[in-house]
Amino acid sequence: MPLPTDIRHLLQGLHAPLTLTQPQWERVLRRARPVGLHARLAAVQLPQPGLPDPVRRHLLSAQRIAAHRGQALRAELFRLSPLVAGDFPVIILKGGAYLLQDRKMARGRFASDIDLLVPSSHLRAMEDRLRRAGWQAAALDAYDERYYRDWSHETPPMRFPGSPLEVDLHHAITPVTGSLAFDPSSLFSHSEIVPGTPFRVLSLEDQVLHACLHCFHDGELDLRIREVVDIDGLLREGAARPHFWEALIRRASGLGLHRPLWYGLHYARLWMDCPVPASVMERLPTPSRRTRWCMDTLIPLALLPPDPDHPPPLRLKAAQALLRARYHLLRMPPHLLLPHLAHKAGRRLKAYLDGGKPTP
Amino acid sequence: MTVPSYRLLDAGAARIAVASPLQTLHAHLDMVYPHLEPQDAAGFADVRVSLLPEALWRPGRRQVRMWCDSQSPFETYPVASALPLFEWGSNWLLSQRLNAYLLLHAGVVAREDRAVLLPAMPGSGKTTLTCALHLAGWRFLSDEFGVLDPDTGEILPMTRPAPLKNESIQVIRARPGAVLGPLFPKTRKGDVAHFVPDRDSFSQRHRRARPALVVFPRFQAGAALTCNRVDAAQAAMRLGLNSFNYQALGPVGLHAVATLARQTHAYELQYGDLDEAISQVEQLLESAP
Repeated sequence: MPLPTDIRHLLQGLHAPLTLTQPQWERVLRRARPVGLHARLAAVQLPQPGLPDPVRRHLLSAQRIAAHRGQALRAELFRLSPLVAGDFPVIILKGGAYLLQDRKMARGRFASDIDLLVPSSHLRAMEDRLRRAGWQAAALDAYDERYYRDWSHETPPMRFPGSPLEVDLHHAITPVTGSLAFDPSSLFSHSEIVPGTPFRVLSLEDQVLHACLHCFHDGELDLRIREVVDIDGLLREGAARPHFWEALIRRASGLGLHRPLWYGLHYARLWMDCPVPASVMERLPTPSRRTRWCMDTLIPLALLPPDPDHPPPLRLKAAQALLRARYHLLRMPPHLLLPHLAHKAGRRLKAYLDGGKPTP
Repeated sequence: MTVPSYRLLDAGAARIAVASPLQTLHAHLDMVYPHLEPQDAAGFADVRVSLLPEALWRPGRRQVRMWCDSQSPFETYPVASALPLFEWGSNWLLSQRLNAYLLLHAGVVAREDRAVLLPAMPGSGKTTLTCALHLAGWRFLSDEFGVLDPDTGEILPMTRPAPLKNESIQVIRARPGAVLGPLFPKTRKGDVAHFVPDRDSFSQRHRRARPALVVFPRFQAGAALTCNRVDAAQAAMRLGLNSFNYQALGPVGLHAVATLARQTHAYELQYGDLDEAISQVEQLLESAP
């Protein structure tokens, strides 16, 4: 199905200057804002002369907010750096890493938290260091605490008092109970130091795979189009390096992440015109026709920004519910998942009966 | 799906488009924006919203929800109070996306093109004083937002009805020439009625003004008038505190408030009597740069 015109303009506008009328610009901005892509659009479009005044104002507005958030991210990394002592590696994941590495794709990218990856043997040590230095975890009940500790791949989020950003501490990049769980030790051996900082980042190939995993096999669905934009940005940086595609496929095979990579490449090509060589797609096993049909029906509905003139339609909510069910199944085997969902539903019902609003 | 038919309100610094099937909302908009000529709704709008009634099967009084770009970041209101929801909601949306400007939480009025800014926290009588000054012959530029262009240092009008709350409704209604919209009793912020700026203020909504005076007002029932000069450094800090986006603007915000504080005189004004406050502001403007 072809993309709606304003979404096409938006996605093109993340790479090349746009020449649009004011009403067209307004529609592009209205698609961009709910998915947090307006500052990325600004990073590419603001340098061009001849933008209509109101459009320039809105792009400038987005750019300023992104700069402010970037500053907060840098401040948090600055506060974290004395906690990295060199006795075990600390990897910055995702947005924080892109910013530290000064990647082109980080320009105008909103980040709302910092994700740290440490070896599981040092998870407690890192957590203690954060606590001693003043970070505080949100109060959780015993059940949520156990969910995070035993079934998840991260500890409960922590926050330095007054900081706008949360710190999530991970010991893996897949849920430990999930079907794609793998031993994260090679992530560390492939990781790279960021010069001038005590932090490490994943190799570019691993960053691509992590972004694919996060986009197509994990948690929240809102803003997911941004993950495809991330995948596209990382791939374009990689495409300029010799032997990148071979290394990427080899790494995906090594970690058993063919499937998320296939989805990432597929949608980056389809939506972002990402220059993935056809030979690369041929070397990856293609999902069955039925799976592809399901995903090609659900993914655009759930991921692309909806029509800005109307409330989200029912079919969008249905698509999101189905994808969420898929994530849950990929995350936990049924004998863990069913009691977990039952517990959450019971708690929601109790809260409702107690007169409060249902918890998300 | 078809595009709803929007109605475009040009407030000067921003253009707001609204669509709704609720006839009462349109009747109320006619009352509080009586001087706005019909606009081409297909033109660029800074904020574009829909106010749609919630499904009938929901329990309780019929509610209306405000949508913007397929999202709804607001609580619902009873359908009869669609106008206050629209005014507050669209102002909140504007505060998120007009960061090309420094947005002060301030009323602004002007004589000729010399503007007086009245920055204040909610509850300090800012709206009441702004409306009273306007009724005393000053041009109304804005109530909620003092919109400052950091490139030129000028103030842009944001000519929208000013939401008067509780006792201040009667205080302003009693003044000659006051035009108020319908009364909305017991909203989330108490009783509310919107004060309507005059035709001249609307027709000059694209005319910028130069800030000359900053007055931090504080109404105190029965208090005698006191007026103290605030030095430039403190004025700059207080302007920053009374801003929606001072922090987010970073160095641009700092430069904007510092320049504003240097180029104006600033005072702290405590008053119990509106007319005394008005004549005091008149005098202060005469001695301002």
